Amino acid sequence: MLELAIGIILGCCALGAGTAMIAGIGPGIGEGNAVAKACEAIGRQPESRGSVTTTMLMGCAVAETTGLYALVIAILLIFVAPGYLVNILMRTIG
Amino acid sequence: MACLSFEYGKQVVIILKNVDATVKRETLYIAAAVGVMSMLMQAIFMIVRHWDYTVLLGNVLSAAAAVGNFFLMGITVQKALNKDEKQASASMKLSQQLRLLMMLIVAALGAALECFNIIAVIIPLFFPRIAIALRPLLDGRKGK
Repeated sequence: MLELAIGIILGCCALGAGTAMIAGIGPGIGEGNAVAKACEAIGRQPESRGSVTTTMLMGCAVAETTGLYALVIAILLIFVAPGYLVNILMRTIG
Repeated sequence: MACLSFEYGKQVVIILKNVDATVKRETLYIAAAVGVMSMLMQAIFMIVRHWDYTVLLGNVLSAAAAVGNFFLMGITVQKALNKDEKQASASMKLSQQLRLLMMLIVAALGAALECFNIIAVIIPLFFPRIAIALRPLLDGRKGK
């Protein structure tokens, strides 16, 4: 029974981590769209290349943070959460 | 094998030589901001008496990954701007996924190895975002 409970904890943590990483797809799509539009803008006004690059770099870095949040949640769910949850289980059983 | 690594090294040197001035400037700003915030974090760890060598190692690993991630993103953006829209979008998506994988490996290393403090590994990953948020304040001060 205890093994089953630990297995459920580990499985749920892994499922949660995998689900969290879905958020890693969004920034890629967003950055892709931003760069595509920047290419279009630079094509129209080549003299604005410097300012467009700066703004886009900052925008891409901000967009990427969303993926990092998901990454941190996933890492915590894989490496930290199982230990805490199993400890709580053990203390509850006694 | 040695010839292959030499060729690879040569390509890396060529890429580094052709880095856009904007990318260099922004990466320097991010690196400086990450350095300052890392020192602040070390100071806070010392004040709360939780500082040991694992905090320093974790901070160094994570700060290097954060700055490297930004620099690689800059190089990708610089290259993507010379392509057509569809290619630029695709290369940016691929680059983002690969960089996320790199960050995942860094964070997993930090969490799995005993010589790194996990909190000190995770917090500096967000320093570039904080640096960007503080940027308008610094620009405003320079403008005055």
